[in-house]
Amino acid sequence: MKLFYCHIIALLLIALMACKPKEPMLSVHSGTADFSKFVAIGDGHTAGYMDDALSIHGQQNALGTLLQMQLQLAGANPTILPWLDPSNVGINTQQQARLILGYKTDCMGIQGLSPIRFSAQGEVVSFTQSAYIPNQKYSNYGIPGLKMIDMVSNLIGNPNDQKYNPYFGRMSMDQFVLPMTGTWSSVQENVLFGGYPTFSSIYLGLEDLLPYAKSGATQNPMTPVSGLPNVGFDESINQLLSQLSSNNAKGVIATLPDVTKFPYFTTIPYNGLKLDAASVVTLNQIYGPLGFAFHVGENPFMIEDPSAGMFGVRPMLPGELILLSVPLDSIKCHQMGSVFPLRDEFVLTLDEIQQVQSRTTAFNQIIRAKANEVGFAVVETSPFYEKTNAGFVYNGASLSAKFVSGGVFSLDGIHLNPRGNALLTNEFLKAINVKFKSNLPMLNALNYNSVLFP
Amino acid sequence: MKGRNLILVAFMFFCIGVELTHSYGQGFQVNFQGQKQQGMGCAGASLVQDASALFYNPGGASFLNASEVNAAVTPIFGNVMFVDSFTNKSFRTNSPVGTPFNLYALFKVKKYHRLKYGLSITTPFGSTVQYEDNWIGRFALTRLELKAIQFQPTVSLRITDNIGVGGGLVFTTGAVNLQKDLPIQFYDGSFGHAEISGKAIGWGYNVGLHFKANEKLNASFSYRSRTNMKVTSGNVQFTVPESLNQSFPDGNLTSGIPLPSVATFGISFKPAKRWDIVLDVNRVGWKAYDTLSFDYALNSPSLLDTKSVRNYKNIFAFRFGAQCNVLSLHEEKKMMLRAGLGYGFSPVQAGYVTPETPDGNRVYFTSGMTVYVSSHFNLDLSFYFTKVTRSDRNLETLLSGTFTTIALAPGFGLNYSW
Repeated sequence: MKLFYCHIIALLLIALMACKPKEPMLSVHSGTADFSKFVAIGDGHTAGYMDDALSIHGQQNALGTLLQMQLQLAGANPTILPWLDPSNVGINTQQQARLILGYKTDCMGIQGLSPIRFSAQGEVVSFTQSAYIPNQKYSNYGIPGLKMIDMVSNLIGNPNDQKYNPYFGRMSMDQFVLPMTGTWSSVQENVLFGGYPTFSSIYLGLEDLLPYAKSGATQNPMTPVSGLPNVGFDESINQLLSQLSSNNAKGVIATLPDVTKFPYFTTIPYNGLKLDAASVVTLNQIYGPLGFAFHVGENPFMIEDPSAGMFGVRPMLPGELILLSVPLDSIKCHQMGSVFPLRDEFVLTLDEIQQVQSRTTAFNQIIRAKANEVGFAVVETSPFYEKTNAGFVYNGASLSAKFVSGGVFSLDGIHLNPRGNALLTNEFLKAINVKFKSNLPMLNALNYNSVLFP
Repeated sequence: MKGRNLILVAFMFFCIGVELTHSYGQGFQVNFQGQKQQGMGCAGASLVQDASALFYNPGGASFLNASEVNAAVTPIFGNVMFVDSFTNKSFRTNSPVGTPFNLYALFKVKKYHRLKYGLSITTPFGSTVQYEDNWIGRFALTRLELKAIQFQPTVSLRITDNIGVGGGLVFTTGAVNLQKDLPIQFYDGSFGHAEISGKAIGWGYNVGLHFKANEKLNASFSYRSRTNMKVTSGNVQFTVPESLNQSFPDGNLTSGIPLPSVATFGISFKPAKRWDIVLDVNRVGWKAYDTLSFDYALNSPSLLDTKSVRNYKNIFAFRFGAQCNVLSLHEEKKMMLRAGLGYGFSPVQAGYVTPETPDGNRVYFTSGMTVYVSSHFNLDLSFYFTKVTRSDRNLETLLSGTFTTIALAPGFGLNYSW
């Protein structure tokens, strides 16, 4: 009898421990879309370019990779990328390694946190070896630097051309196809070779604007709104989408955010020139004759502006931007931005910002119109980037577009970090769910790395 | 054979509870202060059966005819699951077993039997929640441990044959430990961590009035006051990358948590000789818990004092139960079987549900029994079951999803009277 009770008590205790809420059963479906042959097309965002280089860790956390991972819950094909070296050193077109956050001593001898290169040189081996494997189709044609107008270019895969893009070169099928055809293949030919995708994601157009903005509007003109494929934005996107939507294939395409709001352009304040009494005296002596006065405290930086009077120099105006490419040590120790005005290439003036913004608006109108024509879902990226600029709370964590500490942008100030890519991926997933009545779950962006601190 | 049947009955209640698919108190209240009440839906403030009246109704304690000591413990097996509404991922708690307990000692004054005095040691507030590693709400909370022990010396006087009054001073000593991860990453990708800990004390009182209308009908009113628990020498410890040490200085902090007032109206009725029916209505002053603030002694641009809005509201809880002497019509042989249920409104308003108290309106079921081993000694068993589901989107953390809590609490108590 005693033994009997012992058993009963033991059973009861087990029952108590085991009484847990049951997990809900949920099946993910693709709605009216067919993800079985998915391809991601885009620039560095889609490829996983971040911290000013492409690396394997970036590829693993790329917009295209994360999006495909969720689409795989509803039948998408396996992820095949031209993976970079497992060393995770990374490489950019200047052969540099990726940036990390480390300690750096500035010109005044003060040690502080700063983006520094992971190593002296990038993983150059990745640009010297082809990653192409015959009969294998990449699911991600994210190519850093790729413009909308480049999709049909027969030059960016040609190592002898100045338009050559080494990221494309290493994944292009040319080494096998070229001997037969005699011409270099375009990105689009690579995408469509061996079967059209049933679903594509497109995030292209930023590189049609960014090189101009990053040069301080001094070179790399923006892509014209109109023109033939390979020249103008409208005809280029037109032919791309008509190809990708043939056979009633579906897809998702993103509009473009205002790139001038990226931390690359917004981190250094226009009035960050902090002056003491002695400097004020000196500067007033220099610039007094031009009618510019300085005071103790914060002052606008002095910049070159050819349209500003006889000397082409003036103080910055509120709303004007200094680029992260500016040599900070020269500002701190060598009077750049004060005695020596900031050169044009480090500054976007109000006019230049306006040019970039209105071109972005024009591109977006075309993207929306063409997407509607072919029945693609449209991801409006601007609300996401605006929310990030304002700062927001996500599952208990505060995130913002702030450089380094914001947690969304990588150390190049232009590309998102893995966490930012996951957040942007969620915007793609939402647009797909709405348009095609699928029920793809979102990603928990906090599972993806942000800036790593020493 | 009878013993076996009883266990089967208890087990049946357990199964019924599970089938009905629907913690143990609202907010971080723990309503386990008497095994006999726990058997009857946690009601019975007006049915004086043992020394737990010191807590439930100080006015009723004087109606007990003997001196008595009472000890009981109620292990709580609580499991919480959170299903995130955006990712559809589910996460669980692996909280340790909670062990609310109570000790009562009630003595009669030899020459003046109308007067009783006693001491109660109870744990009417507390909570320990530990979420699984890397859960989606880790930046809101990873672990909360809230402990409070109340000491209540009490005097109870039977003014007339029908009316008793009583009161006691309540001294509360408590400890809090709150932990969460910080969205700051080391080189290896691991996250920073913050741990707040502190001890607190507070003072309050418990008064009651008992009215015996006749042999069949009793009523009671009791009021336990609010207690402000002040954390005066708390401590915060950060685990962050070395380069951020200066931004997150370890140091002292002050804080405070209110334990709400509880007003209880109870009625008990004897419809037949073997039977008692009890009904309690609680009004809990949760409105007191409007903000959880931490005032750090050392601030930095990254570490500012925090004020986290809780915005709780006052609530009602309705508790109902019955007991039956299954052995005999008369009092010489007794064995009580009990059952009850209750409904409690949640003090947590929409937009304010946090992982620390994933609370919702709740139905709960209880059962229990008392074996009278001798005229001096009896042994109590009770069982409690609830399932609570609450969906919310927290306004502060924007954590959005559904918490489901299943709590089971088997209780065990001993009484000795003389």
